[in-house]
Amino acid sequence: MDLTHRSATVGTVDARPEPPAPPDGGVAPAWPSYDPVPYFDELVGPGGEPRPAAEALWQHLARLGPEALSERQEAAEREIRAIGVTFTVYDGGVGVDRPWPFDIIPRIIPRDHWQIIEAGLVQRLAALNLFIDDCYHDQRAVSEGVVPADLVTGSPNFRRECVGVDPPGGIWAHICGSDLIRDDQGFWYVLEDNLRVPSGVSYLLENRMVTKHIFPEMFRHYSIEPVDPYVGRLASTLASVSPSTGDPTIVVLTPGIHNSAYFEHAFLAQQLGVELVEGNDLVVLDDDCVYARTIDGLERVDVIYRRVDDLFIDPEVFRPDSMLGVPGLMRAWKAGRVALVNAPGAGIADDKKVYSYVPDIIRFYLDEEPILWTVPTYRCNDPASRAHVLANLPELVVKPANESGGYGVLVGSQATAEELATAAKEIEDDPNRWVAQPIIQLSTAPTLCDDEIAPRHVDLRPFTLMGPDGAYVTRGGLTRVARRKGSLVVNSSQGGGSKDTWVVDAPADPGINAGFGTGTDGAGGPPGDAGHDHGDEATE
Amino acid sequence: MNDTTTQVPPAADDAPGHDEGVPDEVEGAEEGRTTMLLARMAEAVYWAGRHLERAEGTARIVQVHTDAHVDMPVGEDVGWEPLLAIAGVDSEFAEAYSAAEGPDDARAAEEDVVEFLLHGDGNASSILASLTAARENLRTARPVIPREAWEACNNLWLSSTDHLAEADSREGRVRWLRRIIAGCQCIHGILLGTMSRDEAMSFLVLGQNIERADLTTRVLDVRSAYLHPRGADDPYDVVHWMAVLRSLAAYQPFRRAMPARPQGGSTLRFLLQDDRFPRAVGACLTEARAHLKALPHSERAQEACQNASMVVASAPVTRLTLSGLAEFLEDVQLALVEIHERIDDAYFRPSFDGWEPAIATP
Repeated sequence: MDLTHRSATVGTVDARPEPPAPPDGGVAPAWPSYDPVPYFDELVGPGGEPRPAAEALWQHLARLGPEALSERQEAAEREIRAIGVTFTVYDGGVGVDRPWPFDIIPRIIPRDHWQIIEAGLVQRLAALNLFIDDCYHDQRAVSEGVVPADLVTGSPNFRRECVGVDPPGGIWAHICGSDLIRDDQGFWYVLEDNLRVPSGVSYLLENRMVTKHIFPEMFRHYSIEPVDPYVGRLASTLASVSPSTGDPTIVVLTPGIHNSAYFEHAFLAQQLGVELVEGNDLVVLDDDCVYARTIDGLERVDVIYRRVDDLFIDPEVFRPDSMLGVPGLMRAWKAGRVALVNAPGAGIADDKKVYSYVPDIIRFYLDEEPILWTVPTYRCNDPASRAHVLANLPELVVKPANESGGYGVLVGSQATAEELATAAKEIEDDPNRWVAQPIIQLSTAPTLCDDEIAPRHVDLRPFTLMGPDGAYVTRGGLTRVARRKGSLVVNSSQGGGSKDTWVVDAPADPGINAGFGTGTDGAGGPPGDAGHDHGDEATE
Repeated sequence: MNDTTTQVPPAADDAPGHDEGVPDEVEGAEEGRTTMLLARMAEAVYWAGRHLERAEGTARIVQVHTDAHVDMPVGEDVGWEPLLAIAGVDSEFAEAYSAAEGPDDARAAEEDVVEFLLHGDGNASSILASLTAARENLRTARPVIPREAWEACNNLWLSSTDHLAEADSREGRVRWLRRIIAGCQCIHGILLGTMSRDEAMSFLVLGQNIERADLTTRVLDVRSAYLHPRGADDPYDVVHWMAVLRSLAAYQPFRRAMPARPQGGSTLRFLLQDDRFPRAVGACLTEARAHLKALPHSERAQEACQNASMVVASAPVTRLTLSGLAEFLEDVQLALVEIHERIDDAYFRPSFDGWEPAIATP
């Protein structure tokens, strides 16, 4: 590591030194074995040359060489273990905390791309919030023929209890964790909008902290957008929906220490400086207000950032067997005495059938063209689509419309004849339950595998905040990476890893069409194989 | 690439890269806010304090006993059972090891006792079990304790479990125990140096001091029982009392504070009634009471604390008989239990029936 540059940069804010020259003064060695073809690689072009924004990183990695990189990878893993960044996996009913899997090679996104993605995500969440609010009020989208009635009232995520409720600013989904992917051409797509209890942001923040310790020298070669402001924005978003005047009392509601995302719940409460409560810590009194059991008696709570699913938050209204909720919570929320983030019922807008209508939803509510692509989605309840799906199963991904966590997903190209036959029968028996999408070959990013750098498939989960006062998108997101060669599974519970993601002030590759705003109709879409990440919601 | 910038919706309230200077907290935040402490968090912090103290205290006792054992002539040593009695796990030990050992094995073997105290199955107060419990409690309480304290505890737990095999030999054992003691001190130092003196801190300090006072009385109880018969004429009496003081990290402070060489009376007076040495029972009670005063609804617990202080202060420690001392120490322990129960009643298991909300409803 070249430390001499540190003193050279003291006091020079704008001047960023060139990457240190290789010892022999010549061109740094490339990674001869790195060959991303046939996939689109985030950092390296098809000829093995780094993309413009990745050049400094790529040369630095080559200079360090495999041994030094392995040492840094080990240092990163030691740090993650020491600071206790974990996720919980369940093995035979027993929860085991595993260290968070992390690959030290960052993924780089040029800022020009990110500005468009950011605008696209805000546009999307604004439209989805208008849609949710409409679902629980006049249902104009139904009466004006944008979506079928069954999509709304027939959805298992439609909560009758929410009809007529007016959350502050008409915002229902304040926090959205979107899943973004790129295909073999480099086109960006939104694959999923997670509006219920999306998780992963703590890992995004911790990944950055670890990277700062592992590659401090790289932060002098790049102008990297900070990720830390998220916490402050989350705090102000939560405060902005408080029903009380004055300083609001905010809490994070967790299902408890055994939940797979408990690390994140505790992390966020700590970062926000608020209490982390469980259902039993809260009580709703006859005044319809929510109180926390403190050492000084009951104290009023104004805003609950709840990380408990809708169906478990109030045993008086939803599942009566829920031990995780607070009896009377829905009553307090409907009376406007407490804010719930996200609001109950927001999940109506994140099933996969609604997903296929999002381009129309954006046009209908905002009178704008969608900025980001949506993956073409065949709804099997439509006879023509169903016929197409059944005739082309091996080329498609079949997904249940309302499940999350990758349950029930079938990748046609990897399925046996028997599995295909079963899927076909299930689609014919209950077409309403299924959607299908083309198989998209996810983009790859250089990843450290057994002392060599190899291309591995990635996706991206940025987080969008939306309150009555405005919106905010994380700079970059949580990149998840499938660590096995050729695998599309990025779930951390299934061996997937993660990467720090840098939005940098560097030019985009001029030869790449990233697909923004070039036509986003659900039925249309770009040419080529469609694709897919069925490892969604690994951390949800 | 198409030009899409005109499609950026107005909902984005700031352009990328312009976070600096944007106030990202709630208005009026500079005036501070009333923090609340969840009853469950208070309990977690209190128990974290107790378990950390127990891990450190037990580690020091085993370490000092190992050192003292080396000094004693063969046949004069008191064996390893006293350690079990101090930790209060004699019966658990008997249960865990009776099945494995033959009936002729009259004295418990060093390896067995040490293993049991360090990490024995069936010993819920073993050093490792205490550390594990402290870590779990700190994990629960992460939102109210400094991040560095949690990390230090997590690290200590990881290194202790990673190096568990090392503790099998006497030489490795000393290293393992030193790591525990230093690690606990490190956590304590982080808490003292970085944690606000808030209510959560008070619960932590309460847990620590109640556990410390309890440990000091147990050390005295057991050690005295083994020592008293021969009294001050025993040439090894000084060695014993030095071990007692060292078990509680009290030897040097004792030497500076007391004119006499270590023997029963002066040691008892110092460890029970001194008001300045942080592991003396009297000082622990003073500290606990000061923190109780800062907490709401603490009247009954303060009362119990004051009562315990009176019991300790009133005892004629230098003139106690063997049975008198045992009886007295039992009184002190009961008084400590009473403080714990009143804290438990007031904060951890309060009934909220009929409670009026602390904040008036609109």
